[in-house]
Amino acid sequence: MTDTRTETSLQAGLKKSTFQLFLATGAWVGSTALMSFGPSAIWGFDVAVTFLAIAVNLIVGSFMLYSFFKHLKNMDELQRQTHLEAMALTLGITMVLTVIYGALPQAKVLASTQPANVLFVIGISYILSVITLWLWRTSE
Amino acid sequence: MKNRLKALRADRDWTQAELADRLHVTRQTINAIEKGKYDPSLPLAFKIAALFGLPIEEIFSPDTD
Repeated sequence: MTDTRTETSLQAGLKKSTFQLFLATGAWVGSTALMSFGPSAIWGFDVAVTFLAIAVNLIVGSFMLYSFFKHLKNMDELQRQTHLEAMALTLGITMVLTVIYGALPQAKVLASTQPANVLFVIGISYILSVITLWLWRTSE
Repeated sequence: MKNRLKALRADRDWTQAELADRLHVTRQTINAIEKGKYDPSLPLAFKIAALFGLPIEEIFSPDTD
């Protein structure tokens, strides 16, 4: 009986922190969109409102970071280890690919680079790293 | 690191899920430890030792090449 409660609390804690992280990430995406498109589409480039939107984005971004740390703490230690190793892999992959990407305009292979593309590299590397490491460790 | 977790678990007729419940970890963690793909943290190793009533060194031992 006690053991069942223990397992349930582990899963319940993870579900709760996953939902909180989902909400925080959604709010951050929303506030980022507001900060990016608000000046031209809503408040006509009013600098004071733009600074307010930046402040909101920073606060929501900090909450997202806090939610992610909380989510990591709620994980079981194998899950946490997997995510930390995936972060290390992502950092290395992103560094190497960003240097190559940054060198392409100088080499006249690309006309220009978009910094936002680095976010795709981070996201894809992280997801693939988590999946690969998890499958490798948990394969029967 | 080598370990006797699978044998100790079998002695008590526990499934991986039951052992995971007792240790407050996931079943995948138990599976990874048993297969030698993951070395548990020191706190978890102590919990395992306490659960089986054995010293840590009787459950875990270093790999010797």
